[in-house]
Amino acid sequence: MNNPRRKLVVDDLRIGHWSRRSGSFALACDGLTFDVAENEFVAIVGPSGCGKTTFLTALAGLTPVESGRLELNGEQITGPAPDRSLVFQQASLFPWRTVVANIEFGLKAQRRLDAKGKARVAELVELVGLAGKEESYPRELSGGMSQRVNLARALATDPDLLLLDEPFSALDAQTRELMQEELTRVWQADGAGTGKTAVFVTHDVPEAVFLADRVIVFSRGPAHLVEVVEVDLPRPRGAGVKRSPRFQEISDHILSLVMSQNQPGRRTEDHDSNAALSR
Amino acid sequence: MTATQLSPGSVRKTAAGATAPGRRRALDRYLNPALGVLGVAVVLAAWQICASTGVVDPKFSSSPSGAFRALVDSFTSGDVWSPLGSTLSIVAWGMLISIVAAIPLGLLIGRNRVLYALTDPLISIMYSVPYVVFLPMLIFWFGIGADARVVIVVWSAMFPLLINVIAGARNLEQSHLQVSRVFCASRLTTLRSVAFPATLPYILAGVRQAVGRALIGAIVAELFMGSAGLGYVVQLKTSNFQTDDAMAAIAVIAIIAVLLNHGVAYLEQRLTFWSRTD
Repeated sequence: MNNPRRKLVVDDLRIGHWSRRSGSFALACDGLTFDVAENEFVAIVGPSGCGKTTFLTALAGLTPVESGRLELNGEQITGPAPDRSLVFQQASLFPWRTVVANIEFGLKAQRRLDAKGKARVAELVELVGLAGKEESYPRELSGGMSQRVNLARALATDPDLLLLDEPFSALDAQTRELMQEELTRVWQADGAGTGKTAVFVTHDVPEAVFLADRVIVFSRGPAHLVEVVEVDLPRPRGAGVKRSPRFQEISDHILSLVMSQNQPGRRTEDHDSNAALSR
Repeated sequence: MTATQLSPGSVRKTAAGATAPGRRRALDRYLNPALGVLGVAVVLAAWQICASTGVVDPKFSSSPSGAFRALVDSFTSGDVWSPLGSTLSIVAWGMLISIVAAIPLGLLIGRNRVLYALTDPLISIMYSVPYVVFLPMLIFWFGIGADARVVIVVWSAMFPLLINVIAGARNLEQSHLQVSRVFCASRLTTLRSVAFPATLPYILAGVRQAVGRALIGAIVAELFMGSAGLGYVVQLKTSNFQTDDAMAAIAVIAIIAVLLNHGVAYLEQRLTFWSRTD
C-alpha cells in the first residue's frame, strides 16, 4: 500500500475459457499488464468482442485467471469477495424486491445489514436520485432508474473496487448523457473526497474520456494492451467538458486507436494466434 | 421437463387482455358474468323442465328444485358439516404435506444437475400415469382410514406441484444468479432469497393444479373406500336412490372446487404481482 500506484496490479495476465463443445481453449486476454492507483477511475475501451467484459468478470471473480497476476491490495483475486462490487450491463434487479430491498441485497447477503447499513442505503437512495421511489418495484422503473438502483446496490457494500460493465449501453442517448454526469457526481460524492477506485468498461469512447482519469485501450480479441491514455481534463467535469478542444483531441486519438484495431489486416493475425492455441 | 401446462406466462394472458377501449372493458366486466349465469340458468331450466314433464324420471335424474331443497335441508339439519369437514380436512392435510415436501424437494432437484437427471424420468412417469390406478395398491398398503385418504391426496397433488417447482428452479435467470455470486451470497441465501422467490410464480401455478387434483383424489378415495366425506355421501345416497341428496352433495363439492380455485388465484395475484407483464 506504500505505492498508491499499485492498488490493482495486472501483470502478464491471461484469461480464457475451455469451450465445452469444441474442447478447445478460447483466449480472451493475453499478456495484459497495467496498474490502477488508489482512487483512480479507469475506463477500458476496445472493439466489441475483444474480451474487455471477460476481463471485468475476472476482476469480479466470476471468471478464473489462467495465468499471470491479478492482485487487489497485494492479494491474488480467486473469486468474488465483499471488497468488490459489479454494476451489471443489464440492471439485473430482483423483480420481487422493492428498490430499497434491491439496494440492500449485497449487505444482506454479507450479513452486514445493521443500523449502519440501513443508514448507508438511505443515504445512497438520496445520492443516486431515487428518493420517493424506495417502495417501487423494478417493473415500475424506467431504464435509467433501474441503472441507478444497479449502481446504488453496488455502492451499498462500500467496495474497495467498483466495477462497471457498460452500465449505460442499453439506455437512450439523452438518459445516457444524464447518467454519465450523475455517475461522476455520485463517484466524487461517495468516496472520501476523491472517489472510489473504479474500473469502467465501455465501447463508447467519449463516455470513457468523460468519466475516466485514464483510458486503457484493448486490442481485438484476444485482448492485449494497445495504449494507456491519460485524461488530463480538470475535475469536477460538467457536461461542458465534452465540447472542449482537449476533450475532442483525446477522444479522436483514442477513437483512431480503437478503429485501427478493426482493420481487416489484423484479423488474419489474430486468427492465427487462436489457431495456435487450440493445438 | 415434459409437462408444465400452467406456466405463469400463459396463466396471465387473460389478465393482460383488459387493455381494450372502455366500452369493451365494461362489456367484459358486466356482460360476461351475466352471460355465464344465464348459461347455467338455461341448463338448470332445461333439466327442471325435463324432470317436471316426465321426460326423465326425477327418481333417477333428480331435479334442480329437488336438489336445492335437499341442499337447504342438509344445511338446516346440519348433516352436511361432518362429511364436508372430513373432505376439507383431508384435502388440507394432503395439500399441506405436498407443499411442505414438494417446494424444498423441487428447488433441490431443479438446482442440481445429477439429482435432476436421476429423478426426471421417475417424476414424469408418476405425473403421467393416472394416479387412480394406484388406489387398490394404496388401500392394500394403508387401509381405508383417514391416513390412507391423505396418502392418496398427497399422491395425486404432489407431482404436478413438484414438476412446476423443478421447472421454475431450472429456469432461473443467469443474471440473478450472477448478482447473487458477486455479492457473495451463501448457497442457502441464494436458494432462499433468489431461487425461491423467482420460482414462486411456478410454485403457485403448481399449487393451482395440485389443489384441483387433491380434491379429485379426496373424492375418488371416498367413493372407493366408503367411510366418510362428501364422496362417500354421494356414493351412499345414490345407492339408496336418494338422488336429490346425492346432487346436493355434488353441489357442495362444486362450491368447494370453485372457492379453492379462486383462493389460489387470489394468492397468485397477491404474491406474484411483480411478475406480471403489463
